[in-house]
Amino acid sequence: MVQGSMRAAAVSAVLITSLALAWMGLAAAQVTPPSAADVARGRYIFGATGGCGCHTVPKGQPNAGGRKYEGAFGTVYSSNITPDKQTGIGGWTDDQIITAIRLGRRPNGERLLPVHPFPVFNGMAEEDLRAIVAFLRTTQPVTRQKEPKKLVPLFESVFLPAWLAAFAPRETPPPKAPTTGVARGEYLVKAVGHCGECHTPRTMTMATDNSRFLAGNPKGPEDQAMPNITPDRETGIGGWSVEEIADYLGSGNKPDGDVAGGLMGEVIEGTLSGYKDLTNADRLAIAQYLKTIPPIRNKIGK
Amino acid sequence: MSTRVMRVVVGGLALVVAAGCASMGGKKMTAEEAIDARKALMKEQGAAWKNVQDKTKAGQITALVPDAEKLVSTSKEIPKLFPEGSLDPQKSNAKPEIWQKRAEFDAAAKNLETWSVKLRDTAKTGNAEQTQAVVKDFGRQACGTCHQPFRVPPKQP
Repeated sequence: MVQGSMRAAAVSAVLITSLALAWMGLAAAQVTPPSAADVARGRYIFGATGGCGCHTVPKGQPNAGGRKYEGAFGTVYSSNITPDKQTGIGGWTDDQIITAIRLGRRPNGERLLPVHPFPVFNGMAEEDLRAIVAFLRTTQPVTRQKEPKKLVPLFESVFLPAWLAAFAPRETPPPKAPTTGVARGEYLVKAVGHCGECHTPRTMTMATDNSRFLAGNPKGPEDQAMPNITPDRETGIGGWSVEEIADYLGSGNKPDGDVAGGLMGEVIEGTLSGYKDLTNADRLAIAQYLKTIPPIRNKIGK
Repeated sequence: MSTRVMRVVVGGLALVVAAGCASMGGKKMTAEEAIDARKALMKEQGAAWKNVQDKTKAGQITALVPDAEKLVSTSKEIPKLFPEGSLDPQKSNAKPEIWQKRAEFDAAAKNLETWSVKLRDTAKTGNAEQTQAVVKDFGRQACGTCHQPFRVPPKQP
């Protein structure tokens, strides 16, 4: 009797285990590939970042990397983020790509330098990051080896972890991406568009001085001066209407007849998509948000 | 005076006049003159482009033809206002790439001319929809493609 019960229990256990394994296998097989809508959303968010232009050498192959960045840390080159399996991110899992975008870690654990602004990209919603990954997987793979970085001694092992712990701003991912209004504008400006990376002045430690958020940076990326885009009327864009700001983001046209160039021209145009591809509603949301931030008097240049 | 002498005198005079004209026409601008002239031209173009946008928004399509024509004529002037030796970062936002990649710069000026002709000719038809479509891309495609590689961005918004 006891023996029979034990046998029945063993059979049941095997059956349950088999069923569980079969269910897990089925679940794994049922991982649905991204839909066309996911990819379209990814392209859109990719455009809202400015087309990830740091990963494209001007007039070069989109996303193939190789753009040079120099600083006190040394010299680095942007990564190939095409789906090439050998030299790009084609061999990475979705989670590994997302970890690199928002936490600045490669699959092998190596840190990315915050030239890639992962502390602010960490403010992006999971759904938007997954959409970007879905889109990146549809882009043209390019075989392009990464140039070796040249960093000052102890930078990666000592200075970078200390700097990140002490000074790097940290955004918190929202459970869902805001969809309308000023909250949407704030999300697009702070996290996705990472506007502060160029337009916010930096302290002596090279961290963004967020007490002067978007107040302009006389020495921004690639040695370009970045204008003050707070609502200060004298030195910022306080004299621009919401519609003029929104129009500028879509067309590059300034209210005075001038047209954007430099890095701003690049992000408006984008690569595979850019700010110009944002909906009017999103451009207006950005403009409305920019009107709500504190005006800061800070004249950049003469 | 014989006919032959007359011919020599007239021929000689013609040569002198031609040489004079050539030397006047080919008078080299100083760097300062070139910088002043191109700054004035860009302001003229900015004003014309603003007029184009304002008139398009107001639905005054054929009224923007003179402004588009202004963009056509001024775009032809651009290459000669950037002579060799007129790089001056203190007085001008022109980047050294203009002279390092001269053919690309000249092509960018030609691109502006092509877009301006397209804008003018489309506006002449009075077709609001088609004109709006050209205006929508004009800033980025006609002006931005030159500003981006060849101009130091303004520090003020």
